[in-house]
Amino acid sequence: MSSPPYTAEVLALFERAPRAGRPQAAGWVSGEGQEPLTATHVRWHLLGANGHIMDVRYEVRGCPHTIAVAAVLAQRMVGQSVAELKLDVAAIASELGCDMTKLGRLFVIEDAILRAAHILRS
Amino acid sequence: MTVPVYLDYAATAPVDPRVLQAMAEVLGACYGNPSATHDQGMAARACLESARAQVAGLIRAPAAAIVFTSGATESNNLAILGAARANGDRGRHLISVRTEHRAVLDPLAQLVREGFKVTLLDTDRLGRIDAQQVLAAVQNDTILVSIMAVNNETGVLQDIRSVATAISGRGILLHVDAAQAAGRISLDVAQMGVDLMSLSAHKIHGPPGVGALYVRREPRPTLRPLLFGGGQEFGVRPGTLPVHQIVGMGCAFQIAADEGAVEMRKLSALRDRLWQELQVIPRIHLNGHPTERAPHILNVSFEGIDGESLQLAVSPLAVASGSACSAASGEPSYVLRALGRQDALAAASLRFSLGRMTSEHDIQVAAQCVITAVLRLRELAPQ
Repeated sequence: MSSPPYTAEVLALFERAPRAGRPQAAGWVSGEGQEPLTATHVRWHLLGANGHIMDVRYEVRGCPHTIAVAAVLAQRMVGQSVAELKLDVAAIASELGCDMTKLGRLFVIEDAILRAAHILRS
Repeated sequence: MTVPVYLDYAATAPVDPRVLQAMAEVLGACYGNPSATHDQGMAARACLESARAQVAGLIRAPAAAIVFTSGATESNNLAILGAARANGDRGRHLISVRTEHRAVLDPLAQLVREGFKVTLLDTDRLGRIDAQQVLAAVQNDTILVSIMAVNNETGVLQDIRSVATAISGRGILLHVDAAQAAGRISLDVAQMGVDLMSLSAHKIHGPPGVGALYVRREPRPTLRPLLFGGGQEFGVRPGTLPVHQIVGMGCAFQIAADEGAVEMRKLSALRDRLWQELQVIPRIHLNGHPTERAPHILNVSFEGIDGESLQLAVSPLAVASGSACSAASGEPSYVLRALGRQDALAAASLRFSLGRMTSEHDIQVAAQCVITAVLRLRELAPQ
């Protein structure tokens, strides 16, 4: 291999996976996304109040890039308006130096978030 | 920087210091061309023939049956392409197995492009074929059967002797890729009924870049050379021979002959210990036959996690992943898929391969590292 497949940031996010986990308390809503080819599976948990996202948790079965992108999104979503979510998976993937051939599986994260957000809105 | 625990001996093994010393001595003092008739050439020839006898000794073959090559890949190519092209007027059909190494499957694919027919046998879920399967695939124009002795990913053993017995008397050549078998299991080419056997030096602590092909003496199979440009190696493999590498291979094979039995018991015990320790992890699967396998390979699949993340999480270990042999494509191992593993499970697999320098401490570290990695990734994953 000519260059390391993961940037230092991806490695750190993979290692720590900030905000990963399953919320135990009541009031959270969840959405899922799956990509059967690689068996990538994301479950996203949102806690909302007054039309805004108060807290985020996620569960991921996926490659290191999927975990890293999920971790970045989770950090950036807190405080966002549920009605105007900014979810640019492709941009985050690019920021992290992800292998862009993985975009298909990375969009599973977006699927999961949008499903959870839909429940939150309704 | 922490030195990773090396458990990838099936890929390549570090050169034994005794081999290194033997090679260095030859490089310094034995510089003649072994084809030359002067003193330096004769000295090199003596080294070469001594190594040939050492290599032959490990598989209980006569020295004159050993043809030196650049490695097992070339040996497989020479055996398969050479035998098929030389015997093409007698028949156009060959038989092999889906779980063979690419160094066998790719030459077979080349023969298909040249108009030959190839039957690839399916293994059972444990990675084995039986002799009757081979016999059932034989056609009137079958000229060669190629079956590996030890699978490079799972360590599964094939019953070569039964296959040889089943096809004997039909004029069919039997080629065995023994790259993973030499020095790991007992080999006796005459007893096994093998016509052609591919051997590698670097898998058993010899130097990379050198291998050999055993070619039965009586009757001697006809092989068409792949290269042209000299009469070396019985006219089958021309080119000036790398005496220092060949001496290294001879030394490695001699060490394996002298110490192999003890080493096999040690590796077998360490491999079993690793498997035992890993079984604290729920939902894991041993790939391959539970008993009919070489002592140095353990291949395990882990449910519920991503293969690439697993590989990264166990990066303190030098192990092969479930996509190791398809690294360029990133596809899950075709060997594991042939054993019935689904893609995701095949990708979430690790091959641990042990060697001379593997210690109990290495096994403990490896087991703990894998247990921690798998449990963490499962904790991250949706339940």
